[in-house]
Amino acid sequence: MKAARALDSRPVLRSRMGDIRLGNLAAAAALLAVIALLAAATLAGADRHALVDIRLPRLLLALLAGWSTAMAGAMLQSLARNPLADPGLLGLSQGALLALLILRIALPALPPGLMPLAALAGGLGTAAALAALTRGTSGGLPVLLMGIALETVLSSVTMILILYTPPELSHGISAWLSGSFALAGWEQLRALLPWLALSLPAAWALGPGLRGLELGDDLARATGIATARLRPAILVTAVLLTAAPVVAVGPLMFLGVMAPHIAAAISPATGRARLLLSGLAGAALAAGADLLTQRSGTAFALPAGLALTLTGVPLFVITLRLRALRQGRSA
Amino acid sequence: MSPALPLAALACAAAFIASLCTGAAPIPPATVLAALFAPDPDSLDHYLVLHQRLPRALIALHAGALLAASGAVLQALARNPLAAPSTLGLTGGAALAVVACSMALALPPLGLGLAAFAGGLGGIAASAGLARIAGAGRDPRGLSLILAGALVSMLCMALANALLLADPARRSEMLGWLAGTVNHAHADRLAALWLPGLAALGVLTALSRPLTLIALGPDKAASAGVPVAAVTRAALGAAALAAAAATAVTGPLAFLGLAVPHLLRPFTGAALTRLIPAAALAGAALCLLADIAARTAFAPYELQAGILLDLAGGLGFLFLVRRLCRPAAGARG
Repeated sequence: MKAARALDSRPVLRSRMGDIRLGNLAAAAALLAVIALLAAATLAGADRHALVDIRLPRLLLALLAGWSTAMAGAMLQSLARNPLADPGLLGLSQGALLALLILRIALPALPPGLMPLAALAGGLGTAAALAALTRGTSGGLPVLLMGIALETVLSSVTMILILYTPPELSHGISAWLSGSFALAGWEQLRALLPWLALSLPAAWALGPGLRGLELGDDLARATGIATARLRPAILVTAVLLTAAPVVAVGPLMFLGVMAPHIAAAISPATGRARLLLSGLAGAALAAGADLLTQRSGTAFALPAGLALTLTGVPLFVITLRLRALRQGRSA
Repeated sequence: MSPALPLAALACAAAFIASLCTGAAPIPPATVLAALFAPDPDSLDHYLVLHQRLPRALIALHAGALLAASGAVLQALARNPLAAPSTLGLTGGAALAVVACSMALALPPLGLGLAAFAGGLGGIAASAGLARIAGAGRDPRGLSLILAGALVSMLCMALANALLLADPARRSEMLGWLAGTVNHAHADRLAALWLPGLAALGVLTALSRPLTLIALGPDKAASAGVPVAAVTRAALGAAALAAAAATAVTGPLAFLGLAVPHLLRPFTGAALTRLIPAAALAGAALCLLADIAARTAFAPYELQAGILLDLAGGLGFLFLVRRLCRPAAGARG
C-alpha cells in the first residue's frame, strides 16, 4: 500500500489536473456543438445544403480521422516506449492500405461496405507478422525496427501495384494515398463511427495499463499489470484505430507522432487523459490541415497529407525544442 | 592480399557484359565486344548496344558503385550496422529536392545534382537532429538515429508523391524515377554527374585509412594522430555527394548501400582500405544484375530495378534486425 502511494506521487503518474480540465473542455465543446447544430437547423435552401451536406461531414470526418490516428500513435508510443513510434512507421497503415489496394484493383465491383473489413484484415495481418517476427526479443526498439523493415517490403509491393495500374486509376489511388477529405459524405462518416465508438471504452480500459508500460516491463509487472495480455490488446486496438481512417481519408502521415507530443506540451498527463488529449490534438491538427487545403486556392490542389505536414512539423519541432529546454533547466 | 577485390572486379565485368547481351533481342557476347571496340554504323545490333544498352549499363555501374561505397563509409562513421544512405534520410531528402526543383525550376542536370546534394545533406541533418531531440542518449547502439532516418525518409517520399499529384503530366513521367529506376532516358544526367561521383569516390578511398581508425573509436583515432573532426566532416560530405550523384540519376535505390558492405565484410574484413573498393565493384555488379532481372523477369513488361531492390532491401533489413536483436535479448536474460 505504501509502495503504491509512493509510486503514485511521482509526477509522471499524476493525471488529476489533466482529467478535470479535459472534462470541462469536453463539456464546453459539446455545448458549442449543440448550439451550432440548433443554428444550422434554422437554415434553408443552398446554405443548408452547403453546410449540412458538404462542410459538416467533411469537418467531422477530418476530426474523427485525426482523433483515431493520433490515439493509435499515442498507444504505440507507450507500447514501444519510444517517442517516435507511429502507425505508419510500424507498417500498420501500409498493411491496411495494401489490402485495400488489392481489393480495389482485383474486385472493383465489391460493395464499399467491405472496405473497412479488408483494411482491418491487412492491418491485423501486419501486426501478427510483427508479433511473430519479434517473438523472443524484449523492449521496444526491435518492434520498431522490424516495423520499418515490414513497412519497406509492403510499400514496395504497393509501389508495384501503383505503377502497373492504368494512369486514371493510379492517380485516384495516389490522391487517396496522400490523404484527402474531399470525398467526405455522411456515409463515410457512418462507416467510421463504430470504430470511434470503440476507441472511447478502449482508451478507458487500456489507459492505466499504458501508464504502467511507459515505466518499463519490469515495473509494470511489479505494479500488477499483466503485460503478456496487455501488449497484444494494445496492438489490436491500435490496428483498429489505424485501419478505420485509412479507409476514409488515406493514411495521415506523421500525425500519430506529432499529436501525442503536442498533447504532452499542453499537459504532462499520462494514462487515459493522455490518450484523450492526444486524440483531441490530432483532431485539431487534421481539421486545421483540411482548412488549409480548402483555403489554398484552386491553382495548386494541396493534398491533406502535405497540409498536415506543413502545419504539424513546425509545431512538432517547437514542442520538442521546448521540452528539451525545460528538461535542461530542471536537470 | 585477399582475393575479394579481383573477384569483385571480375563479377563486375561479367555483369557488365551480361547486361549488354540481354534484352528483348539477345545479342551474343562476340557482337557486343565488336560493337564496343570496332563499331559498325550500319549494324542494328551495334546501334542497340551503343545507344540503348551501354548508357543503361553505365548508369547501373555509376549508381551501384557510389551507393555501396557511401553505405560502407556511413556504417563506419555511424558505427551502426543499419546505417546506409537510404536509412539515414539521405536518398529521401535528395529525391524530394530533385522532385521539387524539377517542378519549380528548369534546372540543367548538374543543377539537379547539386539540388540532390543539398537535399541529401538536409535529410541527414534532419535525421540526426530528430534523433538527438528524441533522446538518443538513452540507447547506446544509436538505433534512434535509424528510427529518425526512417521517419525522415518516409516523410520525404510522401511529400514528393504529394507534390507530384499537383502536376499529372509531370507525375507519369517522374513516378518511375521516384521508385528508383535504371533508365537510359536519364543518360544526360549521367553525363553531367559521373565526374562529381567519381571525385567523391576518390575522396572516400583517399580517406579510407583514417576512417578505419575512426570506426574503431574516435578516441583511439585521435591518439593515433587522426584529425577526427575534419576527416569525419570530409567523409560525410563525400558520402553524401556520392549518394546524391547516384540518386539524381536513378532515383532512390535502397538495398545496395545497406547490404553490400555486409555481404563483403566476411571476405575483406572491416578495414575500409579494402572494403570501399570491393564494395564499389560488388555494388556495381549487383545493380547491373538487378537491372537485368528487372528487364527479364516479366518479359514483355519492364519492372523498375528500384522496386526489386526495395523488396530485397526490406527483406535484408528484416534479417539484419533479427540478427542484431537476438544477442541483446539473450544477454538481458
